Amino acid sequence: MTKFLDEIEACVPSLRRYARALLRDVDLADDLVQDTLERALNKQKLWLPIGKLNSWLFKIMLNIYRNDLRSRKRQSHVVSIDDLATPPVTPPEQPAKLLLSEVASALNKLPDEQRQVLLLVAIEGFSYAEGAGILKIPIGTFMSRLGRARSTLRQLTSESGKPTLRRVK
Amino acid sequence: MSKHSSKVTEVELHAYVDGLLDTDRVELIERYLADNPDKAEELQIWKNQNQALKSLFEPAAREPIPDRLKPENVWLSQKETSIRWKSIAAAITLFAIGSTTGWFGRELASPNTAQALTFAEQAINAHSVFAVEVRHPVEVSADEQTHLVGWLSNRLGKPISAPNLESQGFKLIGGRLLPASEGPAAQFMYEDASGRRITLYAVSNKSERLAAFRFFKEADYNAFYWLDTSISYAIVGNVSRDDLKELATEIYQQLT
Repeated sequence: MTKFLDEIEACVPSLRRYARALLRDVDLADDLVQDTLERALNKQKLWLPIGKLNSWLFKIMLNIYRNDLRSRKRQSHVVSIDDLATPPVTPPEQPAKLLLSEVASALNKLPDEQRQVLLLVAIEGFSYAEGAGILKIPIGTFMSRLGRARSTLRQLTSESGKPTLRRVK
Repeated sequence: MSKHSSKVTEVELHAYVDGLLDTDRVELIERYLADNPDKAEELQIWKNQNQALKSLFEPAAREPIPDRLKPENVWLSQKETSIRWKSIAAAITLFAIGSTTGWFGRELASPNTAQALTFAEQAINAHSVFAVEVRHPVEVSADEQTHLVGWLSNRLGKPISAPNLESQGFKLIGGRLLPASEGPAAQFMYEDASGRRITLYAVSNKSERLAAFRFFKEADYNAFYWLDTSISYAIVGNVSRDDLKELATEIYQQLT
């Protein structure tokens, strides 16, 4: 049991990071992670050591998150850039610079489906097959959401640093 | 995808940016990008997006883990809660049915309580597996309710029916048959206007054990269950305890 708990603990930082990207508010994000851990420990007997523990935990977390979206319990509310727990820093020399504040704001405007997919790939580094498995969708659907997320994000930000005003549903 | 195919796919372009591309294909993609500056620019933007997203949220992963998110603490508090519920269930009758069947006199001591909880856990497991299904939440839909009820009654070996919960805002979607530790289990699934789902789980009660209304909670799911002389029922959902109790009462009145 202790080994299982230790292995789960090793995944907690990335669960927190992803939840923070989804929900923005630190407390809501940590609530989601806590619910995920409770459910994971309840389902311990259903965990087969085939595949990665990390994917299993993310699957549980996204399941809870999407259910709660449906029952409107967990609304990710728009947080102004000043409220982010960590101060955003503009990355140094980049050919086509993207202001982090723009990206943060644009991310919030992405449809949920697209945001979930993009963050699994961009922040957590899951493969497309793993990501599709986590979200329980066909890989084709996963890829089309990824493509739409990237192009929507592009439309919502601009290299010149001026955010566009267009809202994309 | 043949290694020798010179066709570059959209998937490969994404994979190139995300570091997931087969090394065999990298050279081809890079040549393609050299010939297609628009595409190259788009991919650079994707790369910048990735970098920006990482920069924005990476610090969260470097923070020390708060106590409430330490798996050991979550585990310990779960054990506490489950011990508390077992003793409450053994000590109190949660719902007065007022019949003469000796419900109050049959309050259960701990060994029996453990069995009753296993039934509730199974009902909750079954709910958690199927209630989230978008395409296949049930095996037989409510369109064929007569057939559904006949089939499940047959398998349970006892007559069973799907109560009408429309006054509570829940419509029957359908049902399925499941394996339970005591034999076949019937699961009826209902849905309200907001898409919330509850399930009614039933098994034939082969033991002499009875239990009056009990409440059981596991993670997000609440359950009320009762072990009756003929059939044991559990009603499960991510629904408030009060609402669930109303549903349980309605079901009990319709089925007995």
